[in-house]
Amino acid sequence: MTGFNVELTITAAFYGLLCIALLYRVIKGPHAVDRVIAGDSIDSMTVVIMALFGALSNRAVYFDMALIVSLLGFISTVVISRYLEGRS
Amino acid sequence: MILLRIIIDALFLIGGFFALAGVVGVIRMPDSYCRMQASTNTATLGALGILAGTSLYGFFVLNSLAIGVKSIVIGLFILFSNPVASHAIARAAKRCGVYMLNKSGCDQYGRDNPQ
Repeated sequence: MTGFNVELTITAAFYGLLCIALLYRVIKGPHAVDRVIAGDSIDSMTVVIMALFGALSNRAVYFDMALIVSLLGFISTVVISRYLEGRS
Repeated sequence: MILLRIIIDALFLIGGFFALAGVVGVIRMPDSYCRMQASTNTATLGALGILAGTSLYGFFVLNSLAIGVKSIVIGLFILFSNPVASHAIARAAKRCGVYMLNKSGCDQYGRDNPQ
C-alpha cells in the first residue's frame, strides 16, 4: 500500500487551492459578515489539510493541532458575531 | 485491500466535491445569506467526508488507533460546532442589517420581531 500517498497529497493540494480561491471572497466581501464566513470556511479547510498531512506523515500530533484550529475557528466566529450584533 | 482503497478514494472524492461546491457557492452567491448557507456545506460535508476517509486510513492502513480515533473526534466536533457558529453569524448579520436580496424573500426573522 505504498502508492497510497498519492491520494492524500492530491486531496491536500486540492483543498489548498480551494483555500486560495476563498481568499477572493475575504478580500472583496462587501460586508464584514462575508469576510467572517470566508474566514470560517478557510479554517475548516485548514483543519482538513492538517488531518490529511497527519495521515500522510503518520504523526498523530497534526490531528491535535487540527482540533485546536477547528476550536479556534468556531470560537472566533461566535465572538465576531457577538461583536457585530452590538455594532448594529 | 483494494476494496479499502476504493472506499477511501470514494470518501475523498465526496468530500472534495462538496468542498468545491461550497467554495463556488461562497464566491458566486448573490446575497450574504446564501453565501452563509454555502459555507456550512463546505464545513460539514467537505470536512466529514475527508475525516471519515482518514479515520479508515488510520485504522486499517496505518494500523494506528490514535489517528483513527482523533479524526473521528474532530469530525464529531465539527458536526456539533458548525451549526452553532452558522446560526450565530446569521443572526448577527440579520441584526446588523445586512442587505438581503428580495428574491430570497422568506424573511421570517424580520416578520417575527420587527426592528
